[in-house]
Amino acid sequence: MTARLFWQIPALIAVVAALAAFPFKADGYYLALSITILQYVVLATAWALFSGPTRYISLATVAFFGVGAYTMAVLSERLPVPAIIALAALVGVAVAVVVGMSTLRLRGVFFVIFTFGLAELIRQLVTWYEIKVTRTVGRYIFLSIGQDQIYWELLTLAVLVFFVGWFIGRSRLGLALRVIGDDETVARHVAINTTTAKLVLFAISAAFIAATGAVMAPRYTYIDPAFAFNPLISFQVVIMALLGGIGRLWGPLVGVVPLVLIFETISANFPNHVSIVLGVVFIAIVYFLPGGVVGLIDRWRAGGIRLPASVEPRTALRSGDAVLELVGVRKAFGGLVAVDDVSLTVAQGEILGLIGPNGSGKTTALNLISGALRADSGEIRFRGHPITRLPAHDIARLGIARTFQLVRVLENLTCRENVIAGLAFRPDPLWGEPARSRANALLDRVGLATRIDVPAGQLTYIDQKRLELARALALEPELLLLDEWLAGLNARELQVGIELVRSLRAEGLTIILVEHVMDAIRSLCDRCIVMNAGRKIADGPPSAVLAEREVIAAYIGDAVA
Amino acid sequence: MIAVDITISGLILGGMYAMVALGLTLQYGVSRIMNLAYGELLLAGSFGAYWLYAAHAVSPLVGLTLVVPIAFLANWAIYQFLLMPLVRRAKSREALEADSILFTFGLLFVLQGIGTAVVGTQFYSYVYLAVPVDILGFTVSANRLLAALIALAIGTALYIGLTRTRIGTAIRAVAVDPRAARLVAIDVPKISGLVFAAGGALSAAAGVLVSMFLTFSVSGGVVFTMKALVIVIMGGVGNLLGTLVAGLILGFVEVIVGRLIDPGLTLAANFVIFLAVLLVRPTGLFGRAA
Repeated sequence: MTARLFWQIPALIAVVAALAAFPFKADGYYLALSITILQYVVLATAWALFSGPTRYISLATVAFFGVGAYTMAVLSERLPVPAIIALAALVGVAVAVVVGMSTLRLRGVFFVIFTFGLAELIRQLVTWYEIKVTRTVGRYIFLSIGQDQIYWELLTLAVLVFFVGWFIGRSRLGLALRVIGDDETVARHVAINTTTAKLVLFAISAAFIAATGAVMAPRYTYIDPAFAFNPLISFQVVIMALLGGIGRLWGPLVGVVPLVLIFETISANFPNHVSIVLGVVFIAIVYFLPGGVVGLIDRWRAGGIRLPASVEPRTALRSGDAVLELVGVRKAFGGLVAVDDVSLTVAQGEILGLIGPNGSGKTTALNLISGALRADSGEIRFRGHPITRLPAHDIARLGIARTFQLVRVLENLTCRENVIAGLAFRPDPLWGEPARSRANALLDRVGLATRIDVPAGQLTYIDQKRLELARALALEPELLLLDEWLAGLNARELQVGIELVRSLRAEGLTIILVEHVMDAIRSLCDRCIVMNAGRKIADGPPSAVLAEREVIAAYIGDAVA
Repeated sequence: MIAVDITISGLILGGMYAMVALGLTLQYGVSRIMNLAYGELLLAGSFGAYWLYAAHAVSPLVGLTLVVPIAFLANWAIYQFLLMPLVRRAKSREALEADSILFTFGLLFVLQGIGTAVVGTQFYSYVYLAVPVDILGFTVSANRLLAALIALAIGTALYIGLTRTRIGTAIRAVAVDPRAARLVAIDVPKISGLVFAAGGALSAAAGVLVSMFLTFSVSGGVVFTMKALVIVIMGGVGNLLGTLVAGLILGFVEVIVGRLIDPGLTLAANFVIFLAVLLVRPTGLFGRAA
């Protein structure tokens, strides 16, 4: 790493210096062309910064670009240019935060649609304001800014956007976004605040796009809403980024250069057919290069900054104290009451079996505890603190980890990255080398030592279940929720699994086990709670509970009992 | 008496909006294609009606019977030849949505480019039945009224077709769960293709009706797409009655904002409603929780 950096940094500096010297050599045409290229390099890279990892396709590039251009137009004679560019970036951030707060919690497709209309909305608002209030349609920008200066400003932005992108790629934020892109539910259960992570990146991306708009505005002395908010800009940015590939920071760059050259040629020779050609190129990319030139393979490299993290430190509980309490918890889906007035207590260091026929509400109960669902009424307390209304990622940070009945691994990430996702967002996060070695140890513990670098999507079902357990353990939880984790194992695997769960308890972990495998329940559980039709019908040691009339009736019907 | 005026205008405009959105709710709700080029295909209907009326003196009502079958075939071909590869490759509903958004986004620019090359960027309109009709003391132009009545007839026919016929039942089954529909011997790809085509035909019909009383240009498709999307999502994807109610809401809001506040802010009002619906009920006014 250091050896590579040793020659990489001087090489990069040399490239940037050569690019910076370009205006001294080039004539007007080539300078103008390279300004266009640089403009799209910044726009496409900034766009991919957000849309690449999260897979939220934003069609709103021009909304931020236009806002930046207008910031320059309005303030051009009142403030120094660098101050206006910085201000434009801030305005971009402000718009992104307002838009993002309301739209980033939406499912991907709604976000796309909203951004599709956002540029149009802002354009209409600006037009309305200009006609009503300032009574002009366009604005003139009288600044003596030459092509050289625009070029250098754009080059500075390009260097900055690559630096920021590189930095994010090595940070926990970068991993958080890739986890979100793969499976947002899992992201929440490994303690990632998904809305905040998306919002931060959306704002960073918008800042660069708005700054580019501000830099470009003086090139055109006259701007009006139809020009500044031209949807073709959004469209070209998406094409370029997708052609290059959004899996890597350098991807969009690969797409920008050829496409700008092609578009310049077309608009010079066939000015009336630009949008047809654009559309055809775009469709071809969607068909034939869904991953772009660079491909989707993004080898994530570890490095190290930390996101701010603040959660009160855990204090040790004494064995026998209640870790988890449910008091009169109820959850209904329409007319179906899935969990009906359930109260229970789980003691420190205990393995509690949660059993019952299919549809009796076991998984719903786990979802309520882990925050995937919110209870209609009643209270859930973890270590004495109510967690009933907390979002899933906060509950994960407090020390409740889970696995899923239908296994959910992050298929595009390697096994180790899956586990690091669990290590990186807990209250005392691990990152860099410590995270890697801890992840290796956890994978070893669940029997996946040989599969560390394999993408999780390639694992067998059983191995995915193991991986999910390793990811849950990475959170160093106090309470572990296992949802049919032992289901589907053969006799030998089951024995190994049972030993593993037992060893976890020996380390002080409290476990709730939703399970149908009776052997496992008998040999592992200190206590069993039986649910039927959403209600708790029995509570006690397994041997006693499994002999109760009502329990037998619930499982195999009244007649037999 | 501005209230009566607003009511009549709102009903007519809202009804038209519902008509505009009908095709999209089929295309997205059943065929799972999020069609960003919807407005352009709608405008193709408008230009077809204009060409027939201006160049050949064919009344838009007759034009409707020509434009609709052609649009059906054209949309069927788009699905069969251009979208099928994406449908086959999609691993999940989300993947198809993402691919179809990108594809139709490209299609939008192709169609716009072709349109600009053929008819240019200027606005078009023609005069058909521009005579005032008196309703409760308020005048409405006959072409608007006629368009609204035809839209009502088409909507009713569609509703009956979907709820009372065998193929309608199959379509609703595909809308709810394509996988389960296959298990009861429904040919899902075939139904999806036909419904996409029918959605396109409906959009062209809406285009013809709209052309009777609005000026239109090649670049205006995006606004129709946006409004249709807002209505479809607000009404609940694939829900015809929801589409009608959402269309009416949008129509009334636009009329009220336009008359009482400022005509320049109608689109902004659209978006505010859209966002409010997404935040409060992301599955639409009548949608069920996902």
